[in-house]
Amino acid sequence: CTQTIAPMSEDFQRGYILDEAALEQVTPGMGAQQVLELMGTPSTVSTVGNQSWYYISQTARRRAAFMRQEVVDQRVAAIYFTPQLRVERKALYGLEDGVIFDFISRETPTGGAEQSFVRQLFRGVTSWNPLVGGGS
Amino acid sequence: CETVSALNPFGGGETYEPEIVETRPAAELYNEGLSLIDRGQYQSAADRFEEIEEAYPFSDFARRALVMQAYAQFAGGAYDDSSNTAQRYLQLYPGQDDADYAQYILAMSNYNQIPDITRDQTQTAQALRAFQELIDRYPNSDYVEDARAKIVFARDQLAGKEMEVGRFYLERRNYTGAINRFRTVVAEYQTTRHSEEALARLTEAYMAMGIVDEAQTAAAVLGHNFPESQWYRDSYALLQSGGLEPRENRDSWISRAFRGFTRAVVGVGG
Amino acid sequence: QQVVVRGNSRIDDETIRAYVTGVSAEEARRNLVATGFFSDVRVSRQGGQLVVNVVENNVVNRVAFEGNRRLQSEALIPELQTRARQPYNPATVAADVERIQEIYRRTGRALATVSSRIVDLPDGRIDVVFTVDEGSKTGIRQISFTGNEAFSDGRLRDVMTSTESNFLSFLKTTDVYDPDRLAADLELIRRYYLRKGYADFRVVGTDVRFDEQREGYVIDIAVEEGQLYRVGNVDIDSRIADVPTEELRRRVLTREGQVYDATAVERTLVDLTTEVARRGYAFAQVRPAGERDPAAGVVNITYIVEEGPRVYIERINIRGNTRTRDYVIRRELDLGEGDPYNKVLIDRAERRLNNLGFFERVRISNEPSLSPDRVILNIDVEDRPTGSFSIAGGYSTADGFIGEVSLSEANFLGRGQAVRIAGSWGERTSGFDFSFTEPYFLGYRLSAGVDVFSRFSEASNTGRYDSRTTGGTLRFGVPITEQFSVTARYSLYQQDLDIPVIFRDNNPANGEASLALKEAEGETLTSLVGLTFTFNSLDNVRNPREGLYAELRPEIAGLGGDSEFFRITADARYYHEIFEDVVGIARVQAGHIAALGSEDLRILDHFFLGPSLVRGFRPSGIGPRDVSSADVANALGGTTYFGGSLEVQFPLPLVPRDFGFRGAVFADAGSLIDYEGRRVFSGGQTIVVDDNDEIRSSIGASLLWASPLGPLRFDYAYVLSQADGDRTQAFRFSGGTSF
Repeated sequence: CTQTIAPMSEDFQRGYILDEAALEQVTPGMGAQQVLELMGTPSTVSTVGNQSWYYISQTARRRAAFMRQEVVDQRVAAIYFTPQLRVERKALYGLEDGVIFDFISRETPTGGAEQSFVRQLFRGVTSWNPLVGGGS
Repeated sequence: CETVSALNPFGGGETYEPEIVETRPAAELYNEGLSLIDRGQYQSAADRFEEIEEAYPFSDFARRALVMQAYAQFAGGAYDDSSNTAQRYLQLYPGQDDADYAQYILAMSNYNQIPDITRDQTQTAQALRAFQELIDRYPNSDYVEDARAKIVFARDQLAGKEMEVGRFYLERRNYTGAINRFRTVVAEYQTTRHSEEALARLTEAYMAMGIVDEAQTAAAVLGHNFPESQWYRDSYALLQSGGLEPRENRDSWISRAFRGFTRAVVGVGG
Repeated sequence: QQVVVRGNSRIDDETIRAYVTGVSAEEARRNLVATGFFSDVRVSRQGGQLVVNVVENNVVNRVAFEGNRRLQSEALIPELQTRARQPYNPATVAADVERIQEIYRRTGRALATVSSRIVDLPDGRIDVVFTVDEGSKTGIRQISFTGNEAFSDGRLRDVMTSTESNFLSFLKTTDVYDPDRLAADLELIRRYYLRKGYADFRVVGTDVRFDEQREGYVIDIAVEEGQLYRVGNVDIDSRIADVPTEELRRRVLTREGQVYDATAVERTLVDLTTEVARRGYAFAQVRPAGERDPAAGVVNITYIVEEGPRVYIERINIRGNTRTRDYVIRRELDLGEGDPYNKVLIDRAERRLNNLGFFERVRISNEPSLSPDRVILNIDVEDRPTGSFSIAGGYSTADGFIGEVSLSEANFLGRGQAVRIAGSWGERTSGFDFSFTEPYFLGYRLSAGVDVFSRFSEASNTGRYDSRTTGGTLRFGVPITEQFSVTARYSLYQQDLDIPVIFRDNNPANGEASLALKEAEGETLTSLVGLTFTFNSLDNVRNPREGLYAELRPEIAGLGGDSEFFRITADARYYHEIFEDVVGIARVQAGHIAALGSEDLRILDHFFLGPSLVRGFRPSGIGPRDVSSADVANALGGTTYFGGSLEVQFPLPLVPRDFGFRGAVFADAGSLIDYEGRRVFSGGQTIVVDDNDEIRSSIGASLLWASPLGPLRFDYAYVLSQADGDRTQAFRFSGGTSF
């Protein structure tokens, strides 16, 4: 699905390269090992009891050199397993399933020595070059 | 390269005259070292102890002087020297008394150089290993208790680094990178304060992708372990609203930009 | 078992007993000898006792040097094995003599001789003294080549970092013979030949001889150039089904018939891989298969595009960044964790990190991970001090002597931000500058910055007024492509103009300011919005040989403030290396300013031009003048200017390249016209304006010297055509920094 690519913009394949054909061959009852051979290692697995595998595939576009990469296409193939690690069902989430909201800006505070401006500046100043033209 | 003074073509070079350098008795040097430490002249104190070790090798004075030299260097802030000296002590006198103290100095030398989480955490990992070795090898040393406290901080710092990178990827909506970093925190650093935020971020990431059941599991684990946490309240609100309501009093683009700008300028005083 | 110790004076019985108890007599003896404290040890058993007879070694009291000038003893002593208060051991002293000689050889003094002697002191102590005769500096006297026809010895030496000794030797160290640097130089020469079509180039051997009478090294490098190859047919063999080779052909930089250039092949690999990756084949790899045809003197190149292994990046570890923050590095990579492993994007990331200028060294390496189709990327960086404190001196015929002190930090607090504070003083000018730039404003690759400045210039006969300008600028820089960028600016500055008494006392003898200037005294505030379009394809910013640098700057003043005008200036310089080491420069510049609103254009908003437009004229020496009185020194400035210049720079034939001298000849032409300011003033006084719009032109020659004290330039220009009233100045010198 290569849309017409404006001269300045650049596309990036991010995350898993989803192969529709391989996903088709994954059928309920199939063993986990077989899924691994077909699809490869999943991008990530469920937080608890890793019985669901997620293959996350994105296409990001950068419209101009200074812009940020913006996700223009996102497909997540999810494969759910029974406790005996047999394929139970699979699902495909598209970009439209996603929800856009702002992430919380608060961060858990951490310690560690912050660089003091003066010490860092002078430790950094070693290219002492008297007489050689500095220049703007 | 040659030092600046090397550029003067006029100097005649160094000359030699015999001069007796008297080596004073070990005890006198040792006491002088201790008084220098009390007066805060750590570098000269370290030199006295080094003199003892050189002049009276293999004596008991030399052993005690070596550990005192490590302490003097540590107190003076010369952490690279103090960790080298401490390591030398551990090689020369492994089992003997004061070995736990040397191990403690070695660990603290790394600990005092732990940078903030946006920078390389090698020092943190080394401090963690050194403290763990102190606990394993000298279980009844009286530094074990402090070592345990420092380990908690060091692990918190390593978890903080994972979170920093996780947030970097989350902001860029690279969910694979973000989720795996937060999973590392939940899996390997669950006793640190960051595991709450990690679970909340997992809820956010899965919600952003539209995988609601995974978001619910993460929020459930968070609620179960940290019911009072503000992170849980945020995640709960996110799930309830399906991501549609504003989540915090997100001020406008301008003030966010301004905050970004002040953070850069305020950093000057940092 | 009782142990009796005899013969020891300095080492106490306790210590010796520690070695002897619980071991056999023979072992005890060996332990004691191993300590190195004793020249002789005898252990014997007499009755129930173990008797240990020792003769202590002398102990070294002090290690000293004499006769060393270039290297200090503090620097040498740590390198030695002989230590104060340790036992004296003749073997280690001999090894130390050798060691010192080696150190001197490495710092370029192969003739140094070193000897050692012992000074006996009371109570069994001794001093070890090393006597050094450093001898003169033994640099590289000569670097010569054999087997090179295509390029001269001089040209190849220019490619190398090692240099020959000459009168500047006391200042530099690149003329010291260093085997590692020489090996690196050979690689530079090989790459140079590969870029110029010599695909078979080989360094046959290097012969380094120490020449006694010339007191230095003579290096001869034997090379085998092989023949010049051109590019034969270029083919793309795409082993990925639906990747059309026609569209890929557009990306190939190596064209048939061109001289073979290894770097063009490398760049083609990058472009092809990016093009294929863009089409969804993130794992594609492109490799060149070159096959030489010596008979036809041609290399046929086939670019093979094939599917690489499907491997993903599991984790990116950034290590060694003790100052630069993690996100400053991570944001430069176009790939993240979880993305496909693509060698070309990783190489581009490494190049981009190196271009930041924050690191001594950047190395990206792979590490296998647990799962077979995952790899861990380790980015090892080494922070480089990016602060610089420089004092610069300079002289220019326009402003006299100038001094500048500046403190700048390119990686402020490890955040990638740039800070610069500078103060300058001169005979007639002084100034202060502060600038702060954040390269990634709000996460966009958008560099936002603020500058605050204040400049004062004193009256002189080229500008009969004191002027103090203070203000600030907010700027946003936006890179559109690798070479083209746009900067938006808002500036607010106040200019305070006043005319010293001697130029106002109506006494023409000491020069009189023009009525227009007198009327313009006082403070004016200018609030200005502007854009700068920059195109930069120079191969090297400091001394360009190829490429184009062009700037277009439209500006509008009038959002508040006293002056309202629209101003646009353009400047384009094209560099082209005509033939080896001779660089042609063509420059075109133009500008126009027009008042907006009702009032006339303020006089100080006009363009005041001189040597920067046509060399050979004094500052403000060109353009409309106030000819009301006989004294025609008062330039009024113009609203439109245009100018062109052709220059050829070349190395001076006789002077060795090492001195950094270059010559140049040039021809300039241009003009400044149309004074649009007020002509009628209070009280009905008027000024007569001579708006001479002839073309001014000049030809001339210059000497350029990249001296250790900074770039210096001497221009001599002979004016061909001028307008009457223009003020010429044939000779111009500017050095140190350019302000």
